Amino acid sequence: MIRNLRELYQYRALLWALTVRELKARYRASVLGFLWTFLNPTLSMAVYGLVFGFLLASSTPRFPYFVFCGLLPWIYFSSSVGSGTSAVSERRDLLTKVRFPAQVLPATIVLTNGINFLLSLPLLVILGALYGQWPTWHFVFIVPLLLVQTLFTLAITYVLSALNVAFRDLQHIVGNLLQLAFFATPVVWPIEQVKTVELQQLVMYVNPVAALVEGWHDVFFRQRTPNLTSLGVVSALSLVMMLLASSLFEHRREEFAELI
Amino acid sequence: MSDQKPAVVVTNVTKHFKKAPKRREYTTFKTEVVRFIKGERELNEAQHIEALRGVDLVVPKGSTMGIIGRNGSGKSTLLKLITGIYQPTSGTVQVNGRISALLELGAGFHPDFTGRENIMINGIILGMSRTEVKSRIDEIIEFAELGDFIDEQVRTYSSGMFMRLAFAVATHVDPEILIVDEILSVGDEHFSKKSRAKMNEFKSSGKTILLVTHTLDVVEDWCDQVAWIDGGKTRLVGPPAHVVAEYRRAMNAAEAEAVKTGHSALSAPGLALPEAPAAPTPQEPVRAVKVSVVDALGANLQTFAAEAKLDVLVDFEASAPQDSECTVDVKAADGRLLFSSAYRSGPLHVGAGRVRLSFPRVGLGEGAWTVVASVHAVGAVATTGVTTSFTVAPSPGVGLVRPAHAWSLETAGGSA
Repeated sequence: MIRNLRELYQYRALLWALTVRELKARYRASVLGFLWTFLNPTLSMAVYGLVFGFLLASSTPRFPYFVFCGLLPWIYFSSSVGSGTSAVSERRDLLTKVRFPAQVLPATIVLTNGINFLLSLPLLVILGALYGQWPTWHFVFIVPLLLVQTLFTLAITYVLSALNVAFRDLQHIVGNLLQLAFFATPVVWPIEQVKTVELQQLVMYVNPVAALVEGWHDVFFRQRTPNLTSLGVVSALSLVMMLLASSLFEHRREEFAELI
Repeated sequence: MSDQKPAVVVTNVTKHFKKAPKRREYTTFKTEVVRFIKGERELNEAQHIEALRGVDLVVPKGSTMGIIGRNGSGKSTLLKLITGIYQPTSGTVQVNGRISALLELGAGFHPDFTGRENIMINGIILGMSRTEVKSRIDEIIEFAELGDFIDEQVRTYSSGMFMRLAFAVATHVDPEILIVDEILSVGDEHFSKKSRAKMNEFKSSGKTILLVTHTLDVVEDWCDQVAWIDGGKTRLVGPPAHVVAEYRRAMNAAEAEAVKTGHSALSAPGLALPEAPAAPTPQEPVRAVKVSVVDALGANLQTFAAEAKLDVLVDFEASAPQDSECTVDVKAADGRLLFSSAYRSGPLHVGAGRVRLSFPRVGLGEGAWTVVASVHAVGAVATTGVTTSFTVAPSPGVGLVRPAHAWSLETAGGSA
């Protein structure tokens, strides 16, 4: 893992150049351009707000804001994993024609989505302000939450992108699993509404993303200190996963140029 | 050069590829997991394609090494191993110095970005730092000759413009070792000349160049050494003239074999060429020993003027009196047959002899030409040929041949 991270640092210029290009390319040739960074999650929030908040009359106060708090980190995770799965297998042009550090590719996807996430955070603060929720000191937890989530996402993306080179079915499976994971994560439903405390804990510990999203809810919506135990567990888990993911990726890397 | 370590050392390298899975042999999670649990890292023989079967190559620093060989002989695989795109199955590849590989141009170009933006990203992908690209960007733009198009999106470029830009970036990486795979013919004639000049500049500035090409006269012109890769192995390494001649001989022998047996020794890609019979086979009553081209004074020349007299001398050896036939082919550098003529003699005496084929004038256009001669008994097929080559100096007019011709002014106009 250390070697992996060191190499990422070594290729930071490449990582950065590709990320900037990815960010620029995403909205190039569209009329609204960069505004889509804000419009996309806002529109998703509007949809969930309409369905769960208005039609199903969720009992959660300030429901749109609640959804938005979970939706932004969820989008960060799911877009990274979703497009990261094919990050290696799609770049035949780079991997078979030049000597190219493959681990930069999934990292680029995660970094791109991470920056998008950061850029949309002000929107979250503004929406909170509209509901009368001003930033509190709990915002300091943004830093560890962001770090842990990035590490976790990076680990998953490394594993999936490496495996997808040999098993292309994975990218389709991942799409569907992400949909399942969305509903298994307390994004549009508050965790308090889960029937029993045991079930609540089950959700939190089986699904690390749930623990992360709960953390974001705590910081922005409930304005309290996140559950440090679950955050600690997820941090440890992410580290272990990153360790395994790096060695798996490293192990598979030699085959990439031949298989894609 | 103070550092005397060779630029590239390839030691006994083999490379196997997995064969594409047949029906019911797909790689699945299950098979892969089973394989992993069983600890099988290597697949069994039948599922392999052996692209390289033991290649040794040493490229000295500052030299230009040509790599020749048939399609599928493993040249490109070797380049990819040296570049670091592939890892060898066994053996070692040592590289001392920064490599830039021109295997395919424009890696990572994005059509929606401008030429200028793509220079930046492509340069970084090829291993330059941001500041390096910035300091060279003007030079690159000037070299690519794109003018105002440099700030247009690359998708609006013609394919020639695209290639020019890509070539410009790739050659401005300032590598210590340049790896080129058959891409010198980028763009129109003007740009092609310019890119050759750029390569010459690399050569004279002491960079190491590895060049894969099928254009044999490029190899002879440019390279200090040539490696002939055949059937995944190094067949011969040495001075260009020698290796190219041997290569041509083997190709001709394989073609002759194909004519004789009806199935082509050249058809199966990746297979080694049959060994060209170098020693005389005793059953042959007569065989060619040597072919040479001489001018009017009998001097052995390399270069002829298009209008000069040229004689082809074929030395042969006969071991039995026999009606014999001598064939002389003149071929272009790419192997195309321009002219072939045969001469039938009565019974020859046992011993050495010579046949002369006279051309009052060369009558060929500028370029390199190969002469292949063979002598064989009437009714038999020659299994060996001898080869020589010569070049023709530039002459007015273009084209492969230069027939005897004369211009005259019939009517100067205005006579009606």
